[in-house]
Amino acid sequence: MTEATTFKAESPAREAWRMFRRNIPAVAGVIMLTGIVLATLWGTFFYDGNPYEIVWAPHEPPGVTPEFPLGTDYLGRDIFAGLIAGGGPTLAVGAAAAAITMVIGVSLGALAGFYGGWVDNLLMRITEFFQVLPTLLFAMVLVTLFSPTLFTIAMAIGVVSWPQTARLTRAEVMKIKELEYVTAARAIGARNRRIIWTVILPNAAPPLIVSATLTIGVAILFEAGLSFLGLGDPNTMSWGLMIGSNRAYILDAWWPVTFPGLAIFLTVFSVSLIGDGLNDAFNPKLRER
Amino acid sequence: MSALLQIEDLRVTFNTRYGPVTALDSVSLSVNAGETLGVVGESGCGKSITALSVMGLIPSPPGKIAGGAIRLAGEDLTQASEARMRALRGAEMAMIFQEPMTSLNPVFTVGDQIAEAIMLHQKVSADQAFRDAVALLDRVGIPSPDRRARDYPHQLSGGMRQRVMIAMAVSCRPKVLIADEPTTALDVTVQAQIFDLLNEIQRDFGAAIILITHDMGAISEMADRVAVMYAGRVIEQGRADDVLDLPQHPYTRGLISCIPALGKGEDTLREIPGVVPPLHMLGAGCAFADRCAYRAPRCDSEKPQLQAHGHHPVACHAVEEGRI
Repeated sequence: MTEATTFKAESPAREAWRMFRRNIPAVAGVIMLTGIVLATLWGTFFYDGNPYEIVWAPHEPPGVTPEFPLGTDYLGRDIFAGLIAGGGPTLAVGAAAAAITMVIGVSLGALAGFYGGWVDNLLMRITEFFQVLPTLLFAMVLVTLFSPTLFTIAMAIGVVSWPQTARLTRAEVMKIKELEYVTAARAIGARNRRIIWTVILPNAAPPLIVSATLTIGVAILFEAGLSFLGLGDPNTMSWGLMIGSNRAYILDAWWPVTFPGLAIFLTVFSVSLIGDGLNDAFNPKLRER
Repeated sequence: MSALLQIEDLRVTFNTRYGPVTALDSVSLSVNAGETLGVVGESGCGKSITALSVMGLIPSPPGKIAGGAIRLAGEDLTQASEARMRALRGAEMAMIFQEPMTSLNPVFTVGDQIAEAIMLHQKVSADQAFRDAVALLDRVGIPSPDRRARDYPHQLSGGMRQRVMIAMAVSCRPKVLIADEPTTALDVTVQAQIFDLLNEIQRDFGAAIILITHDMGAISEMADRVAVMYAGRVIEQGRADDVLDLPQHPYTRGLISCIPALGKGEDTLREIPGVVPPLHMLGAGCAFADRCAYRAPRCDSEKPQLQAHGHHPVACHAVEEGRI
């Protein structure tokens, strides 16, 4: 019998974290996202500007007036103030929509994959029904049916994007439920609910965490898309809203749409880097040793 | 007095793409407290299905118990509700699996897993359960158990993991312990340690052990009684010494002659020609007929029944007719 005393106890999660820390792009993603989040949370302490107020002549280019470093939009509103104020709602909608996606997708996928039979059939037909609907169109219908607030937008995005998560979860659960430790858990008298929660889902977590992270990026893009089409919450500044309201003047002034677009790009990019980093960290085939 | 665990005429069928097949056919076994019953046979002859039937873990569908009874201390488990079975599993009967590498949950420490098994059946605090788990790890011979309890399964060797599985299985002092090829995946030296441990555990806890194996050596070391299974039926049953010393069924004889003997200078491993027939291709006759040197026309038309002959019951026309 070999004594495993040479390396110290390390949980799979900690091992993944160690792998993640070494992944330079992923760490860069974390730093970038942290910066963006901090800027949107505390930016107003350092930069005092009202994003809704007309403060200057319209279409002031960036870098000309020191008070408005990124210039002004078609109404003469401060773009930098808009970026700072719009980040919070954008990120919040992205995170909330991803959370809703995960809750619906993981629950239905786990039930379908675990119980199989008619439960699986029923849930998968429902999933397919949602999957064949054009997502953006469906989300637009939902948002226009209800009043466009941040909450309804997040709900709409969540409701149209869960099917993929459900399918992924189902596949993982179906794979894991055949493994011997699931039978072993049954053999000590664990009930189904417990087996799903403490045995199957923790083991299915890695791909689901990766998927959740990537879903945040998709949801942010989705929100931007809805706002761009003028279906966002008109009373809340968001990056998508800024692009949408300035898009008509893009040939006259590039900066009112470019800076929010850049902000969206950087956010989604950093989220993707983190997602990819997590994927590598969880994937044992890429691990050293 | 009836035995602690009594399997009577158990019949298990599976729906397959070839139609329903009978995985177990009129299997009757019994085991008493403190006794070890060895169940031997090649892969695919129904040993594991028997074990899973007792635990109520036959994957259903496609499998189902089509007849017979499994009585644990008089209670028929085939009629028990799922809730009742859950209460019994782990507490009254427990199972040790073949692959210690894959039968532990990789994301929790072994101590937590044993503690969880304890908390499923006993009203104790998490702290107490963990302390009990450490004590159990100590009991199954794991060095520095308090440290090992905080290890994850992948940090332990195969033998250690199987000890952990045993600790988990005996955590609630079950009356029946089913060991499904507990040593197949382990080194020979570790096998001996695990058997010693099972023997000790049995002495301490007085559990009935059903040892499923295809290793005749393990049977001679561990079992009080033996049932030989072939294609879903018990074909020979008796005291371990009798069956090993005076095997009657041609299949049992084959199994025993396959054990390589040290120092006899044999160059080749003996084997029984052929394979276990697929269950959907079983005919009306004896399932072993195709591989049997004593095959007679009757063997192809009539299934031999298990009946007393000589020292112990056997199911073979040739033995019955005195042709062997």
